Amino acid sequence: MGLREPAWRVTTRELELSTVEERGGASRVAAYLLSPFGARMNRVVLAGTLGPAEPIGRDEPASFWRARLADSLGQVSVTAGSFQPRAMVQLRASSADRPAIVVGKVHLYVGRDGGGSVSIRAEAVRSVAESEERAAIAETLRQTLDRLDLLERIEHEPSVADAALRLGGYPAAWITAAREALRRYPEADRHGFRASLRAGVDHVAGIRLARPGPPEGSVRITVDAPLPSRPEPSSTERAAEAEFLGLVDEAAESSEDGYADVREILRRLASKGVGPEQAEAVLGRLEEGGLLEEPIVGKLRRA
Amino acid sequence: MSDGAVPPELPEVPLREVGARSPVVHIVGRIVSVRRREIVRSTDGSRRPLLSGLLSDGTATVRFTWWDPPREEIERGTILRAVGAEVREFRGRSELVFTWKTRIGPAGPAELPRIDPESLPLRTVRELADGDEGFRLDVRVLTVQAKPVSVGEERRVVHEGLFADGAGVIAFSSWNDFGLAAGESVRIVGGYVRSFRGRRQLVLDDRSHVARIDGSALPEPARWLRRPPRPIADVEAEGGGEATAIEGLVVGLLPPSGLVYRCPECRRAVVGGLCRVHGTVTGIADLRARLVLDDGTGAATVSAGRAATEQLWGLTLADVRDRLKELADPSVLEEQLAETVVGRRLVVRGSASRDDFGLTVAPESIEPAEVDLDTAAAELAARLNRGS
Repeated sequence: MGLREPAWRVTTRELELSTVEERGGASRVAAYLLSPFGARMNRVVLAGTLGPAEPIGRDEPASFWRARLADSLGQVSVTAGSFQPRAMVQLRASSADRPAIVVGKVHLYVGRDGGGSVSIRAEAVRSVAESEERAAIAETLRQTLDRLDLLERIEHEPSVADAALRLGGYPAAWITAAREALRRYPEADRHGFRASLRAGVDHVAGIRLARPGPPEGSVRITVDAPLPSRPEPSSTERAAEAEFLGLVDEAAESSEDGYADVREILRRLASKGVGPEQAEAVLGRLEEGGLLEEPIVGKLRRA
Repeated sequence: MSDGAVPPELPEVPLREVGARSPVVHIVGRIVSVRRREIVRSTDGSRRPLLSGLLSDGTATVRFTWWDPPREEIERGTILRAVGAEVREFRGRSELVFTWKTRIGPAGPAELPRIDPESLPLRTVRELADGDEGFRLDVRVLTVQAKPVSVGEERRVVHEGLFADGAGVIAFSSWNDFGLAAGESVRIVGGYVRSFRGRRQLVLDDRSHVARIDGSALPEPARWLRRPPRPIADVEAEGGGEATAIEGLVVGLLPPSGLVYRCPECRRAVVGGLCRVHGTVTGIADLRARLVLDDGTGAATVSAGRAATEQLWGLTLADVRDRLKELADPSVLEEQLAETVVGRRLVVRGSASRDDFGLTVAPESIEPAEVDLDTAAAELAARLNRGS
């Protein structure tokens, strides 16, 4: 297998229903978000209608932006910070709704109340013609159905060999993901999910429907269960936390041992005008919130 | 070399049979590659020269080691007769060792084993592996192109293209002009297979024979050249292949992309005014795009050259150089290219190979993918109805 992960084609609905995260061990630092329907995602491609971007935090100039991407099944937050300058410019490029294709990494934010929400950290955003957006949705639906078929096949015949499934045209990565999804989401409602894809097919066919409101269990990027001892963090603080976590992920991915070096993080933040005291405060909040841990002095990882 | 007239006492064997008969053999072969080295003895630190390389007689190619060779240069292409060469096994392959007991003399092309083409096994493209020779092959010429190259001081023309049979496609390069034309069917005798960066290539030279045959059993070129795109995961699992088609979305652009500078001598990329081989040079401007194409099953790097990049970008090299004059930061160019290409759906045809960095495609063509939305919607609806 190559070094580059394939980008999974998923609908926003599948992301909304994904709650299981796999963190790599010491030798594998890549993180995966596992969906109930057989996607084991690091990078994804999404298509839909992208809304205008809004800044997160009150810092001037704003260094972290968020927009909502809606397809006919649901919606998801797409973010870009100053570490993805190209994506940030593209995310901010329009103040009106537009058909778009987004390439990015999935990010599961687990709040202090244990509830999670998925967002996409954009690597690339492109406004496209409506026909291109519909073609991308068609591909997403086709691959989603392929994955559902694969899950059914394995559930029906758990002992089927990977080689037999490969001959059936399923990529090795999909087979791994499907087996894991069956194990981790034994109760997943695949029939209901399959039926919900109908709205997407109508969209591909060019049938316009009223855009659904935010569905249940929709995206929350915020943590809304303040600890009694502390006031709810401000949006500036939350943006700083997200930025910090992003830096930890990047540093961990490029390091040999899979840990992010604290000094490295502080240096990067300093170059962005964030002083060590501020940075320590953010780190403190993240450790307190159980999002980061420091198993070795000076080395950070996701808890 | 020692005296040319070596009386052969041992019966001569073709290289294909070396190893099977006896530990000491008598062979005639042509040096295909050769390198002079020195081994330092650990006991007294003295140096001992040796030549090593590959020897071929048209039936097989074997590695040889020649201890204490003559001081004069032994050139590639030299044909020699070796009587009393020792046979060793190394990793399952037979090798020849020339020692002080081996008598070595020059030989002529006529002394090489006479190969009766009918005695050689008929192989298929799929079976061919690196180092293979001594086979017959019936193939269709899919493409062929003459390309001038310099070999040292010499200017030569190499004919490159693709051969195919019913089971596979292989690249070829021919140092002789056999008058090959796309679409015709040929029987090849006396070619050998070489692998470079994971890409198999059939090499033809002046020892090879090409005969026109009736190709009714061979596929039409279009069957290979216009075949539908395949999942990238499948291409990757097979390690690549010729005349491969893939379809996907551009999900990224790898550096260096956009405006690049190339060495006027060798076309390598010039970094900081320096060519890796030719030192300080004035680079020639060129365009390229290293696209990451992804179809949801896997990802491949597509190395687009100038023509394809101009087409994707909608700008010519001259346009891009004009833009450069107005830009304070040339890296903006790469970002502008990325904005133009990311998210585009493309069909790419070409030669795919796999290495440590994943799958790479050297494209023959890059075209926008056509999607029929009505058909796609109807197929999806049918699947949903079936499943629920």
